[in-house]
Amino acid sequence: MILAFLSHTWKKFSRSVSFGKEVVTSIFLGFFALMMVIYSLALGFALDHIITTTLNISDSVTFLNGILFYYFGFEFMMRYFLQNLPVLDVQPYLHLPIKKSSIAHYLLGKSIIHVLNLLPLLLFTPFAFMVVAGKESTGAAWSWIGSIWLLSLSMHYIVILFKKQLDDSVWGFLLLISLFSLLGASDYFGWFKVSELSAPVFTFIIEHPAGIFIPLLLLALLYLINFRFFRQSMYIEDLAAQKESTTVTTHFDFLNRFGAIGEWINVEIKLILRNKRPRNILFLSGFFLFYGLIFYTNKTYTEGMPGFLLFVGVFVTGIFMLNYGQFLFSWQGGHFDFIITQPISMREYIQSKYWLLCSVGLICFMLSIPYVYFGWKILLIHTVAALFNLGVNTFVILNIAMWEPKKIDLDKGAAFNYEGVGAAQWLMSLPVILVPYVIYTPFSLMGYPNAGLVAIGVIGLFGIALHKQLIDLTTKRLIQKKYDMAARFRKE
Amino acid sequence: MILVKELKKEYKGSSVVNVSELSIPRGESFGLVGNNGAGKTTLFRMILDLIKPTSGEVTINGNNVQLNDEWKKQVGSFLDENFLISYLTPDEYFQFVGKLHGYSQEDMKNFYSKFEELFNGELIGKNKRIGDLSKGNLKKAGIAAAFIGNPEVIILDEPFENLDPTSQIRLKDLLKKEQQERHLTFLISSHDLNHVTDLCNRIVILEKGQVIKDLKGENTLAELEEYFKA
Repeated sequence: MILAFLSHTWKKFSRSVSFGKEVVTSIFLGFFALMMVIYSLALGFALDHIITTTLNISDSVTFLNGILFYYFGFEFMMRYFLQNLPVLDVQPYLHLPIKKSSIAHYLLGKSIIHVLNLLPLLLFTPFAFMVVAGKESTGAAWSWIGSIWLLSLSMHYIVILFKKQLDDSVWGFLLLISLFSLLGASDYFGWFKVSELSAPVFTFIIEHPAGIFIPLLLLALLYLINFRFFRQSMYIEDLAAQKESTTVTTHFDFLNRFGAIGEWINVEIKLILRNKRPRNILFLSGFFLFYGLIFYTNKTYTEGMPGFLLFVGVFVTGIFMLNYGQFLFSWQGGHFDFIITQPISMREYIQSKYWLLCSVGLICFMLSIPYVYFGWKILLIHTVAALFNLGVNTFVILNIAMWEPKKIDLDKGAAFNYEGVGAAQWLMSLPVILVPYVIYTPFSLMGYPNAGLVAIGVIGLFGIALHKQLIDLTTKRLIQKKYDMAARFRKE
Repeated sequence: MILVKELKKEYKGSSVVNVSELSIPRGESFGLVGNNGAGKTTLFRMILDLIKPTSGEVTINGNNVQLNDEWKKQVGSFLDENFLISYLTPDEYFQFVGKLHGYSQEDMKNFYSKFEELFNGELIGKNKRIGDLSKGNLKKAGIAAAFIGNPEVIILDEPFENLDPTSQIRLKDLLKKEQQERHLTFLISSHDLNHVTDLCNRIVILEKGQVIKDLKGENTLAELEEYFKA
């Protein structure tokens, strides 16, 4: 039975439309995965050296034991974002003479195959055998690394339970954030130290290798809970109930003043708020607004590399535009035929897209204004980046998004979801990020970096001033391309 | 009203639709029949400017559908699920289409009362998204939306498929009534010969993209059955 499931899973994967066709994406992903494995392994080998030499802490084992709980906290966050619920399309199997428990076992067992379950082994195995084994015994090293791995796997099942209960809702996310902020704050203010809890646990395991049975029991218990949960919820309603059906009314009446264009923007706002993948992009963009904090707080960047800040500026003010815009038409792939047959001219349609991108760009810019705290220079960079985003990048995105778009299933999550990604998506970020540099670099080399920034802003202003003409040109292109686009969307 | 001229669509050299001339006057009830792959949906899609013809043109009220958007106010259509927005509730979807046609609240009320019977209390006022509707209700929502704006022409692909018998009869009555009251022109395709002959005063048989027969008047059912027997 398990073999049959495995073959079905493989067939589903290998026969899916995107498989094999997206060579660029597959190569990139493979490369990315390899890099991550190599980096993690390298970090694992360097761990002892980093702790003893760089951090200057002599007892690296106790120190590492102390921060392991933080590592698990971090791992939990990673898992929350990157781990998907194990699903096999169960429905076609339910009426067949197959035990429900074997379906549940299969789902849970298969879910173990995940990069994140390899991560702790890559990170800590070198340390276990190079340091722990040398200090205590090889048995202790086995027990230590084994316990870490078992705890990591327990985390795996906790995340599945957690996600299944809360199903990616905003609340689950907020709950996590507040929990971790609380722990962080308590550590900071000294009410309660996580490290003091973490160190004894792992020291105990090193001293008593038989202690590995505790995490083993924990894992078994969590597996059992998950199993019962899965077995019980193997009904069509339960499987379908994973889709949320609460529909919050979000209608911005003030947009009505803009007639049909306002109506289309309203519908697109609903598209973003009500579907998992675009909503995730929205949240993620909110996060990236804080991206600047990494760089602006660091003098190496603010004083040493002014050019680099331009990249940060374009990114902070334009992240949503880029992320959402790369699929600008694909989002509506499911009802593109509707759009074509409705009484809206293609120009109005382009206008609605343009104004949506512009308003979001403007909102991102305004939210980034507090960065002025780190200096007026940063406000200047953000202003020119925003002008460039509104004047030039909007049209770059509009036009590239028309290039061989693919339909997107709105309900699937965003992490590691490469549906709809084609060459255009990889290419799009190039002009958006690079062109500002093309303008900036000559000025900077001649010794006038500020003039370079102003030039970017001026070009952005030109784009804004000429937006009517640019919209006309874009509309012309859409009228030519719409048949091809509609055909692609219909094909799935 | 609708004029199809020398319309051809070829995919990789093989012809899918090839109609030399087809004129549909105002107020006509036009039925399109043909076996699978005959090109019915492709023809409808070209009339609605969803597919670019290899050659030839379609005009609606003298406007070439490829060249402007004016005709869209005069044509209501529902071909498949790609016409619906899955993440909206039916209410929101109707309101949205209504606004596109400049509907007031009063117009909306009239629309709802017109379709109250067909909806059978299932579509309106429910907090359920279109994507979660059953196939029959999905069809009803799409068909109803095609009527918004009181268009002169309504184009429906397989409107009776998935509908329950009561709704099939109600839909037929609705189309007939609209035709009598305001000279509605409608184009439907169907595999159900009884419905088509009951509803349409002109029936065209399409085979391999070509108009094989153009039937009008009485006795069409017998002729159709004769044709499809072979």
